[in-house]
Amino acid sequence: MLQGLKWIGVILDKLIETIDLSYSYRSGEGEAVRALSRVNMAVYRGEILAITGRNGSGKSTLARHFNALLTPKEGRVLVDGLSTADKANTALIRRKVGMVFQNPDNQLVSSVVEEDVAFGPENLGLPREEIINRVDEALNTMKLETVRHENPHHLSSGQRQQIAIAGVLAMKPECIVLDEPTAHLDPRGRREVLQSALKLNREEGITVVLLTHFMNEVIYCDRMIVMDRGEVRAAGAPQEVFMQEELIREMGLDFPVATRIASALRSRGYPLPPSIMQAEELIEGICRLK
Amino acid sequence: MELTKNITLGVYLPGSTSIHRLDPRTKILAAAILIILLLFVRTYEPYLLFSLFLFAVVLLSRIPVGYALCGLKPMLPVLAIMWVFQLFLFKTEDTAVLFSWWIFEATEAGLHMGNLISLRVLFLFTTTTLLTLTTSVVSLTDGLESLLKPLAKVGLPTQELVMTLVIALRFVLILAEELEKIVKAQMARGVAFDRGNFLQKTKKLFPVFLPLFIGAFKRAEELIVAMEARSYTGGRGRTKMKTLRFGRVDLYSTLATLAFSALLVFTILRSGPLY
Repeated sequence: MLQGLKWIGVILDKLIETIDLSYSYRSGEGEAVRALSRVNMAVYRGEILAITGRNGSGKSTLARHFNALLTPKEGRVLVDGLSTADKANTALIRRKVGMVFQNPDNQLVSSVVEEDVAFGPENLGLPREEIINRVDEALNTMKLETVRHENPHHLSSGQRQQIAIAGVLAMKPECIVLDEPTAHLDPRGRREVLQSALKLNREEGITVVLLTHFMNEVIYCDRMIVMDRGEVRAAGAPQEVFMQEELIREMGLDFPVATRIASALRSRGYPLPPSIMQAEELIEGICRLK
Repeated sequence: MELTKNITLGVYLPGSTSIHRLDPRTKILAAAILIILLLFVRTYEPYLLFSLFLFAVVLLSRIPVGYALCGLKPMLPVLAIMWVFQLFLFKTEDTAVLFSWWIFEATEAGLHMGNLISLRVLFLFTTTTLLTLTTSVVSLTDGLESLLKPLAKVGLPTQELVMTLVIALRFVLILAEELEKIVKAQMARGVAFDRGNFLQKTKKLFPVFLPLFIGAFKRAEELIVAMEARSYTGGRGRTKMKTLRFGRVDLYSTLATLAFSALLVFTILRSGPLY
């Protein structure tokens, strides 16, 4: 009975679920390094989830389990109820969960924008008209129509990352995992890519998982997960997680700028609410002070 | 050290001229025929004809002439060395000795051979560059794949081979950029690449190429993962967004190329080898 209820739960809202997932790899010296230990987490359908943690915390390793680039050695990963350990599911899982990586230069295949976007749908073996439709749609969503015949190498790094996102979008996934997509970008490119990620979630209804160590990106997400040494240390709405000040410091993470200012003001006797994350909230809070 | 600016091989200059829109098979076959013919050219006259033809292609495809030529710059040292070798080492009977130095003799035949071989390399390079400047990597792939189809029937993994070529071409620019970065970083730390004798200069390059190769392998690995994430599992079951169509323009250009080739063959046969 309980098993049955859990199964219904998976179908209804958990798009990706990890159950006691552990993963270790051999280091250069041949020692086993534990990258993930007993991770239990879920990505809910339709949400935008941030996964943070310092370098080597295991967030990238975790993300690579989401579309079967890595398969669990211990524990299980279910994508839409399908186990990633079963090779027969791999193709379907990769259709459901797309992935964008850090460096746009290392993931673009073609030297023409539209041809790169078509690479994924071509791999799916779709008919020609369908590929053209999807490429048009993806370029349209990412505002790339004007550069569709250009060489990505001649565009800005922010635009190159948008092309990578469009390439995944054209595969019509239910979920897009962005693995530190802004790490190699300038501030402007970072803003553009973040905005596209939010747009995909809000307008296209795609589930988004954003790996990042920029707290100003986390504040726009529905939920956040904090990873450290292969373990999930905190999960919840960003407001709640940032209130655990001790933990955030211990994890070596920052606070969002507005949260930091609000906390500094609070320590000087201004009664600001502890849930402030965005600049607008801070402004509103200050205006409410008399 | 501005490496990336001078690289034109493997770079695609997007455009919508009739040359750009030709079926890639037409262009690949034309380039192949021209390159084979080049190997038989032993006099100066055919090169004159050849350069007229290439110039016409450059004009038709609206590639800036300066850009098409700047790709030759990095080739010049190699060409110069080849030219000197030919000048001194080419041996034939009854030819005038221009001057001699120690045990080497510069002969008139050597001078001509040097010129001709340098010209051949220049034209080979320009022809290939024109092909890649006007043909995007993917259509190049599609063309090659279609032309190699008979070999796939014998069991050759043509699709995978062609994909490898495509990615290699795309990485030319990226690696050049990386090389430039490493060289500049080393220069900032006091390495003077332009000082010392040949041996010393060569030695200084080792700390440059090591990081470059390591970087290249890392990039390759990341690319494989990214391709896999986009459902790439090799050539089987793939479809294409762009289908190849051999149109009327292709017919005309093929005819033009064949006519030119006939003319070239005629001049080659008529003039006979210089030496």
